[in-house]
Amino acid sequence: MKQQEFFSSRWALIIATIGIAVGTGNIWRFSRVVAQNGGGSFLIPWVVFLLIWSVPLIIAEFAIGKYARLGPVGSISKTAGKQFAWMGAFVAFVSTAIMFYYSVVTGWCLRYFISAASGDLFSTADHLAYWNTFSSGYQPLLFHFISMLIVAFIVYKGITNGIEKVTKYLVPSLLVILLILFFRAITLPNAVEGIKYFFTPDIEVMLDYKVWLNALTQNAWDTGAGWGLILTYAIYMRKKEDISLNAALIGFGNNSVSLIAGITIFSTVFALSIPGTGEVDAMVQISKSGPANTGLTFIYLPQLFNKISGSAAVNIFFASLFFIALFFAAVTSLISMVELTTRTLIDFGFNRRRAIIFVAAAGFLLGIPSAQNLNFLINQDWVWGVGLILSGAFISFSIIRYGVDKFRTEIINGYGSDYKIGRWYNFLIGILVPVQVVALVLWWLISSASWDPEWWNPFHAENAGTCLFQWAIVIGIFVLFNKTMVKQIESN
Amino acid sequence: MKIITIFTALIVLSIVWGGLIFFLSRAVKYEKMKSRNGER
Repeated sequence: MKQQEFFSSRWALIIATIGIAVGTGNIWRFSRVVAQNGGGSFLIPWVVFLLIWSVPLIIAEFAIGKYARLGPVGSISKTAGKQFAWMGAFVAFVSTAIMFYYSVVTGWCLRYFISAASGDLFSTADHLAYWNTFSSGYQPLLFHFISMLIVAFIVYKGITNGIEKVTKYLVPSLLVILLILFFRAITLPNAVEGIKYFFTPDIEVMLDYKVWLNALTQNAWDTGAGWGLILTYAIYMRKKEDISLNAALIGFGNNSVSLIAGITIFSTVFALSIPGTGEVDAMVQISKSGPANTGLTFIYLPQLFNKISGSAAVNIFFASLFFIALFFAAVTSLISMVELTTRTLIDFGFNRRRAIIFVAAAGFLLGIPSAQNLNFLINQDWVWGVGLILSGAFISFSIIRYGVDKFRTEIINGYGSDYKIGRWYNFLIGILVPVQVVALVLWWLISSASWDPEWWNPFHAENAGTCLFQWAIVIGIFVLFNKTMVKQIESN
Repeated sequence: MKIITIFTALIVLSIVWGGLIFFLSRAVKYEKMKSRNGER
């Protein structure tokens, strides 16, 4: 198949890829995980894993996509060997399964933006009841449909006329909004208490291995490394485009945004809650998950936005800014998930129009259970969230199969590269990333056994059994159809 | 504010934000170089 579209410039590629990496995970998950893991004690390991997990895997994804010019199934088959095409299919499936419920989450953000902008969000003092009324009604389904429709239209328009054009406006707008909120938050009285907590480490907490594993998980989830999404955008990078410098920019850019969002949320929560008065305790509120981890964002922050100033208009302004930023972050990530599935179908012989109609319809239908039942969403988030670690492992495995040194010298440091990377990369991608995967998967499974005595039961929402059961079904099907998938891609 | 807090903030911000600024400046430099050489 002849490559038809490319990102028009390096900056267009970087902005679109930043759009993948910066999602709701940077804004609401990061702050919650920092609070649950001792503030500053978490930040040090989080920076370490940016260097030894995120950046090497982002480099790998850019390089594989640029080299193979195919979606995850074809790419992994080309680098690891045809008998491992199922691994690429698993990578594609995990991101697709996440797409089904991520569209629901994107819809929540849109609905809360509309509520905030119209002032409806502040018509109540009981935000938990407000959330429960919203999430148990028909609206999550409606907004899931709207989100999927918007994103499908953008992806249908293609790379330069759709994805590039939209992310060119959304990503810079998101950054400007976050900076406005950041400066407002750090200038609130008592904001410094939040900043102090955010950066103060506790050596004892830092020596706890769980903090390190949480830091690794956060990097795996919020940079988009190992999802196959960056690999998909890399298909459309020009041949003369650099890999390693662009990858570093994405990793560091993503974590910079997380820091801005974290400082903003900690400053706001500490400034506007009054610990010890019985009203609220800042730390409890930040670290409290709420249903599907929504507590901080959809229940507690609306209460705080109502207290930013005495003027209702100012409060509405800042709340609207926050939720539109969240919506932009979610949309730019959702675009990449829809594009990944669309591109995979294109590799199988669909044209873009047919592929996007199929993906949007399937995305809407298979997202319905998550829109209607939070427990289903929690289960899917758990199963495929942990599955991402496996995806990272498969990407790393494909490079080991290809030959780590050959991969580095011929592809990463090949034509177009601005920045040649040294042998240290061989150690990171060939040894350190696999070691991290094994540690993380074992820890997740062992921890889940400790909190669920029936850890093997596949019908529990969050345990080892449900992960192993669903992964086994998906992997089994893909292994069975491995040859058919390879044949189909080769014939196109 | 404790010394350790300032120290941690300095390390984290200088690596993450400093790294971003460093890589961004490199990318701008290479882009300028390429456009001067007529590669863009």
